Amino acid sequence: MPDRIAITGMGAVTAVGVGADALWDAAREGRSGVKALKFPEHERLRVKIAAHLFDIDIAKYHERGNPLLLDRFSALALIAANEACKQAGIVPGAAGERCGVIIGSGIGGISAIEEGVRQYYMDCGRENPMLVPRVMTNAAASQVSIKYGAKGPSFCVSSACSSGAQSIGLGMSLIRAGMIDCAIVGGAEALISPATLRSWELLRVLSPTACRPFSAKRDGMVLGEGAAVLVIETERSAQRRGAPCIAELAGYGSTSDAGDILRPDPEGARRSIEMAIADAGLDATEIGYVNAHGTGTVLNDVSEAKALKVVFGAALNRTAVSSTKPIHGHALGAAGSIELVVALRSLLDQIAPPTINWLGPDPAYELDPVPHRARPIETDAVLSNSFAFGGINASLVVRRWS
Amino acid sequence: MSEKTSATDADPKLVGRLLAIIGKEGIIPPDKLQLDAGLDTLGVQSADVIVILLAIEEEFGVYIPVDSDLAEAKTIGDMVSALARHISAATPDQ
Repeated sequence: MPDRIAITGMGAVTAVGVGADALWDAAREGRSGVKALKFPEHERLRVKIAAHLFDIDIAKYHERGNPLLLDRFSALALIAANEACKQAGIVPGAAGERCGVIIGSGIGGISAIEEGVRQYYMDCGRENPMLVPRVMTNAAASQVSIKYGAKGPSFCVSSACSSGAQSIGLGMSLIRAGMIDCAIVGGAEALISPATLRSWELLRVLSPTACRPFSAKRDGMVLGEGAAVLVIETERSAQRRGAPCIAELAGYGSTSDAGDILRPDPEGARRSIEMAIADAGLDATEIGYVNAHGTGTVLNDVSEAKALKVVFGAALNRTAVSSTKPIHGHALGAAGSIELVVALRSLLDQIAPPTINWLGPDPAYELDPVPHRARPIETDAVLSNSFAFGGINASLVVRRWS
Repeated sequence: MSEKTSATDADPKLVGRLLAIIGKEGIIPPDKLQLDAGLDTLGVQSADVIVILLAIEEEFGVYIPVDSDLAEAKTIGDMVSALARHISAATPDQ
């Protein structure tokens, strides 16, 4: 029997505030962090809302950091990592050779790319000599590794909206393989800048009004930004360090549709969900809450609802399924990790957070998405789904520690 | 579907402009650009719809997501009426 993998720390920073508590309180209460955009140069933008962290003073959290060197996505990753490592009892510099860092990101340091391109072509302002180490998608993982002295493997998984979930799953796989005992894992994304937001507008997947997952009259997603980080380790490592075992990271599944680059395939989603549940050694009936990918696009929600129906069958009526994306936005490469924190807190508190902004059922499928108000659950295991452009699916299962 | 107006209820001038955009951006031969023609039959794919919506934004200044009621459109006529509804709602004077 291999060592169980414990989650010993968690941290998050999202549009609803700094801290996993702020995220969970907002998710449980159905309080949205979606706000009107505050850009000095957004005349061309048609969509005016996002789950944007515009009021956070990032510098406050990095008193010693070089602002030229730290892109926003890395700064957010560090804020989340600080919280997770503090809870897990890992002090800066002390993580050691048996600890790895995997922080996913869909895009990486996009604000640095935009800044550099503008300065070069417009010949405006002093150029930043640190663009390269800011832009690289592994910058967040490297910054966390440097700060905490984590000397095992560190890298970035970049798989669009599945980056965060795959980072956590891969960290778990490396621990199971015996390569490391402990991993600081998660995702970070900070792409709400005018030009990047415009590229999402051009794909026409953004809602101009509100994110309404699994709802009639839904018309797209709302972008978010943020980061979430977990510390995961073997039971033995946790015991040796005296770290609290908050829950068990029990299952991971990941599949590819090998079909359309944008259009999701319910079959790929189904295989991912089933793989994660089987990996946890569970039956679908033992999953009491699903934090759905639930973007609020027509195609994702139909595909995900169909996949869930196949996996859960009649038990889907007894399984709480909700999407908290209207709360924290679709944070892309950070989404899987942010939503795993929500799922984990849902397990600890035995409460399914609601899907807000819901206007009524979509006749295309049967699904009760816990509309508007949180609901009590009784369960020992929860599931979180991430489905990405490129046809990349990832699912994680967390079980109560016993 | 009672809240929806059919394509023929939209202003004929607007219908003409929309058909011109759909034909040009969707690369649909003029003789096949009929209101009752099926989008699948014509080979109009999601990428074509995205380009059509960009052209609509350029001409009318209106942002229409692919996930609006446009997602239910099966024919050119459905698409025209969905686009006309969005444009009329956003620009009452158009």
